[in-house]
Amino acid sequence: MPYLVRRVFSSLFLLFGVSLLTFVLVDFAPGEFFDEMRLNPQISVKTIAGLRSQYGLNLPLPVKYLHWLKSVAKGEGGFSFAYNSPAAPIIWQRAQNTLLLTGTATLFAWLIAIPFGIWSAARPGRAPALLAGGTISTLLAIPDLVLALLLLLLAVRSGYFPVGGVVGLDFSQLGPWSKFKDMARHLFLPSLCLTVGFLPMLLSHIRASMVEVLESPFIAAARAHGIPLRRLLLIHALPAAANPLISLFGFSLGILLSSSLVIEGIFGWPGLGQLLIEAILERDFYLVVDAAIFATVFLIAGNLLADTLLYALDPRIRAE
Amino acid sequence: MRIPTKPRLAIAALVVSHGLVLLAGFFAPYDPASQDRELPFAPPTRIHFIDGQKKLHFRPFVYQLRADLENDGGYYEDQSRTHPLYLFSSGHLFGTDPSAKVFLIGSDAYGRDQFSRLLYGGRISLFAGLLATAVSLSLGMILGGLAGFYGRWLDDLVMRTTEMFMALPWLYLLFAVRAFLPLHIAPNGIFLLLITVMGVIGWARPARLIRGVVLSAKERDYVLAARGFGASDIYLLRRHVLPQALSVAFAQAAVLVPTYVLAEVVLSFFGLGVSEPTPSWGNLLASLRQYNVLESYWWMFVPALALIPVFLAYYSLFSYYGYYSVGGTAATEFAAARMGPRTIS
Amino acid sequence: MLEALHLYKRYVQGHWYSRNRFYVTALDNVSLNIGPRSTLALVGESGAGKSTLARCLSRLEEVDSGAIRLEGRNLLSLRSQELLAARRNIQLIFQDSAAAMNPRFSAAEIVEEPLLIQTRMTRRALRQQALALMEQVGISPQSERRPACEFSGGQRQRLAIARALILKPRVLILDEALSSLDSATQEQIMKLLLDLQVSLSLTYLFITHDLRLAAGMADHIAIMQAGRIIESGSISTVFLTAQHPYTRLLLATIPGIQTDPSTSIQREQ
Repeated sequence: MPYLVRRVFSSLFLLFGVSLLTFVLVDFAPGEFFDEMRLNPQISVKTIAGLRSQYGLNLPLPVKYLHWLKSVAKGEGGFSFAYNSPAAPIIWQRAQNTLLLTGTATLFAWLIAIPFGIWSAARPGRAPALLAGGTISTLLAIPDLVLALLLLLLAVRSGYFPVGGVVGLDFSQLGPWSKFKDMARHLFLPSLCLTVGFLPMLLSHIRASMVEVLESPFIAAARAHGIPLRRLLLIHALPAAANPLISLFGFSLGILLSSSLVIEGIFGWPGLGQLLIEAILERDFYLVVDAAIFATVFLIAGNLLADTLLYALDPRIRAE
Repeated sequence: MRIPTKPRLAIAALVVSHGLVLLAGFFAPYDPASQDRELPFAPPTRIHFIDGQKKLHFRPFVYQLRADLENDGGYYEDQSRTHPLYLFSSGHLFGTDPSAKVFLIGSDAYGRDQFSRLLYGGRISLFAGLLATAVSLSLGMILGGLAGFYGRWLDDLVMRTTEMFMALPWLYLLFAVRAFLPLHIAPNGIFLLLITVMGVIGWARPARLIRGVVLSAKERDYVLAARGFGASDIYLLRRHVLPQALSVAFAQAAVLVPTYVLAEVVLSFFGLGVSEPTPSWGNLLASLRQYNVLESYWWMFVPALALIPVFLAYYSLFSYYGYYSVGGTAATEFAAARMGPRTIS
Repeated sequence: MLEALHLYKRYVQGHWYSRNRFYVTALDNVSLNIGPRSTLALVGESGAGKSTLARCLSRLEEVDSGAIRLEGRNLLSLRSQELLAARRNIQLIFQDSAAAMNPRFSAAEIVEEPLLIQTRMTRRALRQQALALMEQVGISPQSERRPACEFSGGQRQRLAIARALILKPRVLILDEALSSLDSATQEQIMKLLLDLQVSLSLTYLFITHDLRLAAGMADHIAIMQAGRIIESGSISTVFLTAQHPYTRLLLATIPGIQTDPSTSIQREQ
């Protein structure tokens, strides 16, 4: 028990440190949202100064940080200048879109990688293993940017896969089945791209882990007892190979928010990544900070979850 | 696992490609900024040996392209004049006389030669990757080495700090830090800035790996034996610990370079990196964000395809050098690191 | 030649911030005396503290209290410069020769390393000395450039001996140096060591858990248990008239040793 408690505390501490770090960077950043306004001769200096003090931009750093913390506690998370509303709700809404995208992609990636990985580990040197190895190597050489652009081309050429947005413009007027189809068509290409991006890592980890377990003495003993292959793989080998896979799973969860940055930008998917890019271009700092921290929270939480699962499932760790 | 063979092809490919971009002034026929307003989005120039009269020329030649007024946006070849290709003409590897253009991979919206821009842009992208890796590795080796060698509180401090850096999603952090810098920076400045930022953010994983190597090397009996002969710390680091650390560092480099190259490309693609008119593979691809370009002008894709052999080459390098220093399959490590310079467990 | 007087050493187990740390006494009032050109065997089971003693004597670890004297001079009071020079006199040979040598170094590089650290000789002079010593221990100078990992166990121990001898020490501490070798090789190395002892006037501290090897190499013996020296004396005295029950237990494990008939434990021939 104390182990988990310690982990939670260190995660919180980490989060605190990260938020402080990002906030310090905000303060040192040259340029801000109102710079554009300054260029406009019609807006007086006094107006800008008034706006700045209204939003607390001229306060010293520690005060700003405390205000922001309070704001986070209230659920507002600071203020977005571009959207002229509290930052947190915007972040949350965009995050949901991202989770839809990455969640689908992660699910499919795992669904493909587990059977494929197990199967290719079970038959080393034969077709499945070679196929797996070849797939991994090929996919590793293709950056997700390139793949995304190619798929974008496909989308534009075929016209069947709409780009930009989660749903079409007439979404609200569609029947439920059409709604589903509409969303699926928007979702298909970006999540395909992400899935392909996740596959090499998942596949190679699963394969490596299974291969290592399959070479161990207790599997040889089980095989000598005549246990059929499928039972051997699923009931004997897989649980033993699970440790690194659980860590991997936690990692997969952790990157749910952050892995789709490029994909969202290219396909116009209105998620957290695209919000980040927009906010950077608009110099909307609170939005940037909140987005970065939110993604970090996920990553830390994912790792924490993995550690917890490992602790719960592996008696060897409890014994330490 | 098979023991990988020395990746001669990969090394050769990398040497050649880096040489090409370094000597872009020679290999590229045109200046990357020179425009030809009459030839926007011209397709790759065809090189002919046989002309309209079925006559064979020894020297390959090209036709000048003219706007096809019926076919909007298209071009036709003006076969009234042949323009021979010259090798080693006026300081460039190849070229033709000034009244025609040889666009090996077409031209962009301003009629700039994409091939030249590819070469000049490669300088930025490829070397941004290399230099950022150098920064990350140097930081990692120094901090990780000190932490592993001197241990105790220094080790604890360094390890906690790396945990903090590794808890952050790398690309997000890169973008966020980029947010806090001025939007428009001169090309030299942005290049150095990107290298510094990427290098500093990515120090954590190399540091952990190096620290592990140093820690285990320090405990070896031969280090103890050398102490018995009166060896100083510096001697031990230099002769016994460093060589081990170097091979790990080298394998790390093979993973980091492509990651950083891609990061620069992505940043420039979204307008946050190197900006016009300086070419980089990222901003060369940025025009593809417009659908009409994406659909009609396939040659604008080439910079994206150029990334693939670079990645392949570095992957081969990593498979070879990483085999001896990093456990597990190379693919696993490479794929994990592609998600950013951090570990899973 | 080499004296250890009332050495104490304690280890702390556990993190500096944890609650259940505890102390382990590795050396408990250990005293020994080795005369010049003789061999003292130090025998005991694993964990008795033999290696700790070896490392303390060669100043690789520090004792908590006590004195170590080499030819009368107290080693523990030396400053770093003098310590550097003093290191030349006592050399340590490890049990695991493979671990004690950097596998990437070549044979000659390994042997010449101590000289490289301690002196400012030219490369050629270093190499000459190394090759000469290699010959002396029975390694052909042809293998000058072969990496250490390519040698057999016995050959590596020869290299280790050559390396230890290059600084012309007075005392060699052999920490289980024969234990990882097969019996045939053990014989060879033992013979080499005995020859060298005569030709170079060396003093040996021979640490082992194997009493037979001790009998073969040494003229004096000390038995160590749980950090203490429980019995010492000349080989014949101890073997024939062992006083301490632990000693007798050790001796009983060797077939063919007869202890004093007046005691209750004895083995038939």
